[in-house]
Amino acid sequence: MTGPGSALAGLVVLAIVAPAVLGVAGRTKAFLTRRRGAPVLQLYIDLAKAMRRGIVLSNTTTLVFRAAPIVVLAALLMAATVVPLDGRSALIGFPGDVVAFAYALGLGRLLLVLAALDTGSSFEGMGASREVTVAAFVELGLFLAFGTLAVLTKQLSLSGMLGAPLAASWRAASPAIVMTAVSLFALMLAECARAPVDDPATHLELTMIHEVMVLDHSGPDLALMHYASALELSLVGALIVDLIVPRAHVPLGGSLAILAAGLVAVGIAVGAVEASVARMRMPKIPLYLAGASSLGLFSLVLVLWSGA
Amino acid sequence: MTLLLVALALIAASAIIPPLLPRAPAQRTAYLALLIGGCGLTAVAAIDALAAGTVVQRAWTSFVPGGDWVIGIDPLSAIFLIVIAVLGATNGVYGDADMRNDAHARRTTESNAFYAVLVASLVLVVAARNIVLFLAAWEVMAISSFLLVMTYHERAEVRRAGWIYAVATHTATLILMVMFALWSGAARDWSFTSLAAAAGAHAVSVGLLLLLALTGFGLKAGYVPLHFWLPPAHAASPSHVSALMSGIVIEMGIYGLLRVLTLLGAPPAWWAWLVFALGAASALLGVLWALAQRDIKRLLAYSSVEHIGIIVLAIGLGALGQAYHHPALAVLGYAAAVLHTVNHALFKSLLFMTAGTVYARTHTRNIEELGGLARRMPWTFLLFAIGAVAVIGVPPLNGFVSEWLVFLGLFDGARAMSDVRLVIFAAPVLALAGGLALACFANVTGIVFLGSPRSERTGRATEVGSSSLVPQAALALCCAAIGVAPALVAGVIAHAGAFLAGDPRWASASAAAPIGTLRGLTVFSIGLIAAVAVLAVARFALGRRHALRRGPTWACGYDAPTPRMQYTSSSFAAPLVTVFGALSGVRTHRGATVFHSEPRDIVLDDVLTRVWGRIQAAALRLRPIQQGRLHVYLVYVAAALLSGLTYFIIAR
Repeated sequence: MTGPGSALAGLVVLAIVAPAVLGVAGRTKAFLTRRRGAPVLQLYIDLAKAMRRGIVLSNTTTLVFRAAPIVVLAALLMAATVVPLDGRSALIGFPGDVVAFAYALGLGRLLLVLAALDTGSSFEGMGASREVTVAAFVELGLFLAFGTLAVLTKQLSLSGMLGAPLAASWRAASPAIVMTAVSLFALMLAECARAPVDDPATHLELTMIHEVMVLDHSGPDLALMHYASALELSLVGALIVDLIVPRAHVPLGGSLAILAAGLVAVGIAVGAVEASVARMRMPKIPLYLAGASSLGLFSLVLVLWSGA
Repeated sequence: MTLLLVALALIAASAIIPPLLPRAPAQRTAYLALLIGGCGLTAVAAIDALAAGTVVQRAWTSFVPGGDWVIGIDPLSAIFLIVIAVLGATNGVYGDADMRNDAHARRTTESNAFYAVLVASLVLVVAARNIVLFLAAWEVMAISSFLLVMTYHERAEVRRAGWIYAVATHTATLILMVMFALWSGAARDWSFTSLAAAAGAHAVSVGLLLLLALTGFGLKAGYVPLHFWLPPAHAASPSHVSALMSGIVIEMGIYGLLRVLTLLGAPPAWWAWLVFALGAASALLGVLWALAQRDIKRLLAYSSVEHIGIIVLAIGLGALGQAYHHPALAVLGYAAAVLHTVNHALFKSLLFMTAGTVYARTHTRNIEELGGLARRMPWTFLLFAIGAVAVIGVPPLNGFVSEWLVFLGLFDGARAMSDVRLVIFAAPVLALAGGLALACFANVTGIVFLGSPRSERTGRATEVGSSSLVPQAALALCCAAIGVAPALVAGVIAHAGAFLAGDPRWASASAAAPIGTLRGLTVFSIGLIAAVAVLAVARFALGRRHALRRGPTWACGYDAPTPRMQYTSSSFAAPLVTVFGALSGVRTHRGATVFHSEPRDIVLDDVLTRVWGRIQAAALRLRPIQQGRLHVYLVYVAAALLSGLTYFIIAR
C-alpha cells in the first residue's frame, strides 16, 4: 500500500510514539546512571493531567502568548507532512519541500520566541536569545545535510531524498550518508534542547534554553508546548531513521514497525548521550554546532567530487 | 503607451498643482487624487502590457542633442511599474497623513511635491529606452530623493546623511555615464536597441561594461560594500520616504543591472560567479549588521542590504545559467530575483511605515526605549508582525516564496548541472542568514511590541488613524496574497524570467518547469493556515472551558519586577554578535565602572571616514601655499611660466 493512506499511517505512528521516545531517553539515562527513573509512558500521563488543569496568564501577555502553542504544533505537523514517514513518500511531497520543512520549523520557533518575549521576563528573554542563536547554526548544518542528499539522490523533495533513490545510492556513498546521519543526530540534540546543548533536567532557570521559554505557560497551553517539543525530536529522529534504514520496498506494516523501533533507538541514543556528557558552557555551543556542521560539509564535499 | 504618458502627466501635476491652490484641504485632495490616479493608470498600463505579452516602444524626435527619445514597456519594466504604482500610492497617502501630523504646512507641501517628482522619475527610469532620457530620469530620481532625505535639514545628522547619500548617488551616475560613453562608441545612435545591437561588436570588452554596471548600479542598490550610504539616509528621512527608498529606489539599481543584462546578452562566467558571491556575502553581512542595531530604521535599512544580497545572488544564479547554457537555471534564477524584488518592496515598505507610526507616537527610534506597544497599538502590531514574518522568510507569507525559489535554484543547479554544482555552498549560507533574520526580527518585534513599556512616553502611546493604517493594510494584503497562493504569480514571473534569460518562448517550455512547482508550495501554505485554524478551533471552541486566572509574570520567586529588568535588545543579540566578533561591527567600551557598546558601520565608519580623514589631512598640509597675497601668486605665475618655457626649450 502506498499513497496518502500509507503516509497518513506513518504520521499517526509518529504522533503516538513521540512522547514515549522522550520516556525511553529518560529511562536510558536513569539506567546508565544507576537510578530507577520515571516510567516510559510518564509524559502521556503528564500531558493528560496538564490538559485538565486551569490556566494562569501573565498580566503582560497578549494574544501572541495564547496563539504560540497552536502555531508551534501546527507548523510541526505541516513539516511532518513532507517527510516520508512510511519510508516511501510523504503526504504532500513536492520539489523543494526540504526548504518548506526547515522554514516551517522556523515559523514555530518564531512564535515560541515571541511568546517568551511576551511575558517580559528577563529569564525567558535569555532563553529566547539562546534559542535563536542555536537555531541559526542548526539551520546551517541542516542545509548542508539537505545539500548532500540532493546531490547524492538527484532529488529535490524529501520523499525522493529519503525514499527509493536513497536506497539505490547507499552502496556507492555509504560514508557520506553515515556522516550526514551523525551530523543530523548532533544537530537534533541542539534543535530539540537535549544535552550537551541544553539540559532538560535542570532546575536552574539561568542555565535553561527551551524549558525557560515555557515557564509561564500552564494547563493545556503547557501540554501543547511539551507535546510539540516531543514531536519535534521524533520528527528529526524520523529523518535519521529514514536515512539509515531505507525501506521503500518493505511492506507497510514492517515499515511502520521499523519507524517505531528506530525512534526508540533514537531515544536510547539521546539518553546515552545525556548520561555520559554534561551540558556545555553557553559560549562553547557554537563550536559544538560548527563541529556538527563540518561533518555535513565533509559529506557534501565527498558527494560533490565523487559523483561528477 | 499613451496611458503611461497620461499617468506620468497626472503624477507630475500632483507635484505642481497643489502648491498653487489656496487652502490646505483643497491642496490635500488635489494631491492625493492626482497621485493615486496617476499611480492607478501606471498600473493599468503595465498590466495591459503584461497581458498582451508584447514589447511596445515609441520614439519622439528630440530637440536636445543625443538622438530620439524612446520609451517602452516590456515584461521587466511592467513588473517594476506595478511595484512603483503600488508603493507610490500607498506611501503617498501614508506620508501625507504622517507629515501633516508632525510638520508645518509648508514643509508638507514641499515634501509632497518632491515625492511626486520622485515617483514620476521612477516611472520614467523604467520606461526610458535611450541613454539621455534614462540618465536624465536617473538624475531627477537622485536629486528628488536627496531633497526628501534632507526634509529635516535643521538636524546635523540629517545633513550628514544627506551629503553622504548625495556623494554616493552622484558617484553612481558618473560611473554609469562612463559605462554608457564607452558602450555607445560602437553604437549607431543612443537608443537601447542600438546598444543591444552593438553589444557583440565594439572595442570595449563586455566584461568592463559589466563591471562598471555592477559598480554604478550597485552603489544605488546598496549591496556590501557599497551599502554605506543606506543606513544613515534611511534613518534621517521621513518614514514614507524611507519606505519608498528602501522599497523601490534602491531596487532601481537591480532594475539597471537586469536591463544591462538584457542588452548585453549572456555574461561571462567569471562575472556571474562574482555577482553570485557578492550576493551571498551581502545577504549574510546585511542581516548580521541589522541584528546589532538599536535604531529601528537603521535596522530595517541593514535588512534591505540583506535582501538586496538575496536578489543579487538570484541574479548571479540566472547569469550562471546563461553563461553555462542551462536555460532552466537561468529562467529560475531571474524569476526568483524578480519575485524577491517585488516581495521585498512590499514588506519593507510596510515595515518602514509601521516603524514610522511607532516613531510618530513615541518620538523615539531607539528599540531599547520601547516595549509593550502591542496592547497600545494593536493594529500597528498586527501589521508589523505580518511584515516581520514576511521579511524573515518563513511560511506562509511572500518572503518565503521567493527565498524558496532561490533555494530551489541552488539545489537544482547542484544536482543536475555539474559545472555549476558549487552553487550549493550558498544554500547553508542563505540558511544561516535566514536564522539570523529570525533572531533579528524576533528581537525587534518582541522588544518593541511585547513585554512592558521601557519608558514613560512609550506607555502613553496610542493607535494612529485610518489614513495611516489603510495603506499599510493594503501592502499587508499583497504580502499575504502572494504568500498564500504563490501559484497566482507563477505565470507572470516565469514570463519575466524567460524574458531576462534571453528567450521569451522559454516561459511555456520545460525551462520554466521548476517555477510550476509553486503549486506544491501553494498547497503547503494553505495547509499550514488550515492546520492552525483547525487546531485553534479544536483548542478554543471545542475544548473544555478552563479556569483562567491572571497574575504577574513568573520571575523565579522575585515579586517586584520592573520594566527595566526585562531583557534588552542588545542582550538578546549579544550571543550571535559575540560569535561573529569584529565582523559584526559592534564596538564595546569596558571600564572599571562602565560598560557600553555601540554598533558601527565597518565600511563607512572604519574605512571611508578614515580614508577621507587622511585625504583632508594631506590637503591641510598643502595649505601654506595658499597665502592669499597677490605677490605670492605672481611668483607662482612667474614660476609656472618659467618652467614651461624651460620645458619647451629642452624639448626642442
